[in-house]
Amino acid sequence: PLDVAEEPKSTQYSGEIHPSGKFIVLTDGLGKHTTVELSEPLDEEISGVIEVVGRVTNQATIMCASFVQFREDKSAFDLELYNEALKIIQEFHEYFPFGTGMNT
Amino acid sequence: MHKGWTVSPAVTVPCPSQRSRSQNIVPCTVSQLLAAEQVDETFRICDVEISQVTVVGIVRHAEKAPTNILYKVDDMTAAPMDVRQWVDTDEAGGENVVVPPGTYVKVAGHLRSFQNKKSLVAFKIMPLENMNEFTTHILEIVNAHMMLRKNLMSASRVPQSFSSTGISDMGGYRGGGSLPVNGLTAYQSQVLNLIKSCHVPEGMSLQDLKQQLHSMSMPTIKQAVEFLSSEGHIYSTVDDDHYKSTDAE
Repeated sequence: PLDVAEEPKSTQYSGEIHPSGKFIVLTDGLGKHTTVELSEPLDEEISGVIEVVGRVTNQATIMCASFVQFREDKSAFDLELYNEALKIIQEFHEYFPFGTGMNT
Repeated sequence: MHKGWTVSPAVTVPCPSQRSRSQNIVPCTVSQLLAAEQVDETFRICDVEISQVTVVGIVRHAEKAPTNILYKVDDMTAAPMDVRQWVDTDEAGGENVVVPPGTYVKVAGHLRSFQNKKSLVAFKIMPLENMNEFTTHILEIVNAHMMLRKNLMSASRVPQSFSSTGISDMGGYRGGGSLPVNGLTAYQSQVLNLIKSCHVPEGMSLQDLKQQLHSMSMPTIKQAVEFLSSEGHIYSTVDDDHYKSTDAE
């Protein structure tokens, strides 16, 4: 099991916000779902690609520390390509190191 | 001896350097920059010399001072890095607008270290308009570091054969289409093969050759270089210490 402190996970908002606004269910480019718990409830609707930085819990959900929305006003973000890039940096981790104290 | 200049999008050559210096702009992660070792004036990441770098990350903090803007840029491979952009005080505004926190940017600049703390001095900070550039940067980092390390490893082995793949479009003196094996001594062949295997734009320096060719003395290397240059097999680049092959592999 991965013990990751702060791993950026880029996932696409699938349109499912819990009524409280505190949880979002995200879908990555491969059809997998992840529940993200926000530190504060959302005060407005969001859509598109967001990048979540947070901690993976024992229940394989993400406790969100912060998130950022990728701008797509000029070009759509290619999420599948991004996931391919993630696989490459995992495979060639010697050329893309993450900070000390983290296991990826 | 004919001097040629190599210009490609990834290379800036502001002036001839007296010392062997990488003129590439290398895409890096902040973690790689922090791990770079400093020897005198140069930085190295796993023996690859770096000076000008690009980093893509999100602005976490921006502080404007009269002469500069200090950003903290976070690419999540390590703690946010200090990026300083000098403000041109003569310009009537516009040119140096502070990028707001929360914006993804691509930074091009020089790596610096002061009192063991690394930072970047940026000559260009561009907000990303297309977030696919973020993905591209990730791929470019892996590619660049892999290729740079491979070049260092392959240059240390003397190639057994050299190909004649045609004339390279490098703007230097153009030698013949194919190189005769005859007519070159063993020393000259060795030096030429090493220079041919170097893909760095500014070419191979005499110091690099001396490092790789333990059996050859510097005068012998210089003689070989002079002969090869006069015959048109190689040409000098940034200065008389750096050479590239006229036949690219």
